[in-house]
Amino acid sequence: MSGQFSFGSLLRRPEAGAFIGLVAVLAFFVVFGGLSFLKTAGVASWLNVAANLGIVAIPIGLLMISGELDISIGAMVPAGSMTVAILSGYFGLPIAVGILAALGFGVLVGLLNGFIVVRTAVPSLIVTLGSLFAVQGLVLGLSVMLTNTTSIPLTSPAWAKAMFGTFIANQFQVIILWWLALTAVYVFVIHFKPVGNWIFAMGGDKVSARNAGIPTERLTIILFVLSATSASFVGVCQAILFNSAQVSSGMSFIFNAIISVVVGGVLLTGGFGSIIGIFFGTITFAIVNQGIYFTDFDRNWSSLIIGVMLLLAVLMNNTFRKMALSYSPKKK
Amino acid sequence: MLKRILAKSMATTAMIAVSASIGFAADIAVVGGKNDDAFWNIIKKGIDDARLVVEANGGSVNYLRLQTYDNFAPDVVQLIQTAISQGVDGLVIPNWVPEAEDPAIKLAIEAGITVILMNAGGADKATELGAINYVGSDEYAAGVAGGEYFAKNGQTKILCVNTVPGAANLEARCKGVIDGITTAGGKGEQLPLPATSFGDPTAVAEAIKATLLKDGTIDGLITISAGDADSAAIGVMQASKIESVKLGSFDLNGAGLERIKGGTQLFAIDQQPYLQSLLAVTLLASAIDFGTDLPTRPVLTGPGIVDASNIDAVLAGVSAGAR
Repeated sequence: MSGQFSFGSLLRRPEAGAFIGLVAVLAFFVVFGGLSFLKTAGVASWLNVAANLGIVAIPIGLLMISGELDISIGAMVPAGSMTVAILSGYFGLPIAVGILAALGFGVLVGLLNGFIVVRTAVPSLIVTLGSLFAVQGLVLGLSVMLTNTTSIPLTSPAWAKAMFGTFIANQFQVIILWWLALTAVYVFVIHFKPVGNWIFAMGGDKVSARNAGIPTERLTIILFVLSATSASFVGVCQAILFNSAQVSSGMSFIFNAIISVVVGGVLLTGGFGSIIGIFFGTITFAIVNQGIYFTDFDRNWSSLIIGVMLLLAVLMNNTFRKMALSYSPKKK
Repeated sequence: MLKRILAKSMATTAMIAVSASIGFAADIAVVGGKNDDAFWNIIKKGIDDARLVVEANGGSVNYLRLQTYDNFAPDVVQLIQTAISQGVDGLVIPNWVPEAEDPAIKLAIEAGITVILMNAGGADKATELGAINYVGSDEYAAGVAGGEYFAKNGQTKILCVNTVPGAANLEARCKGVIDGITTAGGKGEQLPLPATSFGDPTAVAEAIKATLLKDGTIDGLITISAGDADSAAIGVMQASKIESVKLGSFDLNGAGLERIKGGTQLFAIDQQPYLQSLLAVTLLASAIDFGTDLPTRPVLTGPGIVDASNIDAVLAGVSAGAR
């Protein structure tokens, strides 16, 4: 690096495509939805969705970079919210106990996923498909057995509300701060520490990575623990914010997280991507998903518009990645 | 061949019936959903309460429940055949899968069993099969009641939030709400949410907030499920419209009941499953034992409106397992 600012080198960074996709969809909805989309309520509308999704999307992105996938998050989000609602809402235990139990359950499921993936040769998609259904069934069964219902109200003390489930300025969910802080930590660890390179190396070629001395098995397990626990954390925040938890929610997180990650420039085959890219990808997805409500389009067309916009964002991203990867500086 | 089997089974039927009870009072079988399905546990409460009446007259009630929903249609048919082979006098059966169940139900009626359809089916189906009545709810009628309730309360423009657009029963709910408010002179429209929002309460809440901010004339909001009402309550709050937009929901949950009690939700529409089994079993027993004939067809058990006026009784019902 020359150290001096160059627009060209900025464009060739892995997240550049994701950023340009983001700007494009934002422009689209400002044109069709008006400037209210950029005012406080509008910004909160997509930031809130992005934050909830983003906390899950980053560890999913890391797993995908390392060549794995975790779809059990679809069950872990409701598992987190039901754990805290059953323990602290139904049984009246202190909220801290409920939160810790929910996160602990996330760690446990993550460890199980990780160990099974590492010890057996079964693809992680299949392993986590199994744990997706198993956790869903466990949560439903336990909920009905313990509380005789599948929807549990939760009243949280003020400090828990303030930390996990309140609105800043009556618009922005406090989870946005968690998302920003976690993103910063991920950026630091992944892009400025050796661990980051190890994860990319695993996605590139796992056998060579292990031969080079990278603790691939331990890293894989850690990544699964991260994704399951993050999903559980989002579930906890939801339960505290919405004062309620349901057995049947969270499946949309699977697809939405994967879409965000891919829109953010991570290759489905692994080995390529960046945290900032995933960050932009998540915001892009949230804008596309929520922007529709600021436009005059008939709501029956929502899914069509979401699909087309996401495809365009990925295509744009791909074009930029190709340009970045095939770039060679001019000889002077 | 079939006749011989039938005759044989009827003979055994009669024998079992005689040995099963001392008198000739009605022995009734009720087919229902899984043990861990909350709805069917409320149904069980209705059956248990109806059983007191039936047993007082010398009859009996047997609740046959599905073990799983994995092999649904064959399992339901199997339960109908179990009831036939047990030689019951009356059968209460939800008509979930008509194409699979109808032949078995007809067989039961041919075997001399009096049948009432409950929960799923409708009056026309009951007539077609030869069942004496249908006891249950009607999604469209429930929606109309919701729309009318809004109108009575002074709302003029209602938004029906549908998180699963395309599902026939949920579309019927929203259509009912819109027709109900339109007939009363107001306006209504449906907000279909894309599948990417389903199960993400934040996405649902934000969609509702944005819609309320975009259309300031909306003063009433109803969700197709109780869980979605939790999201809607936050969406309304974020739009700063708690005063001006009234919230309603289909179905009940704990958080919704608390909101109704606390005044942040106007009402909830309940299909009242307790009444479905209570009425179906007692109607059937009375028809078999005493030849009564209820001219009301179908017997609608819903919609029941839960609002501030009856919330305390409903909460008592919840803790008794009847709501």
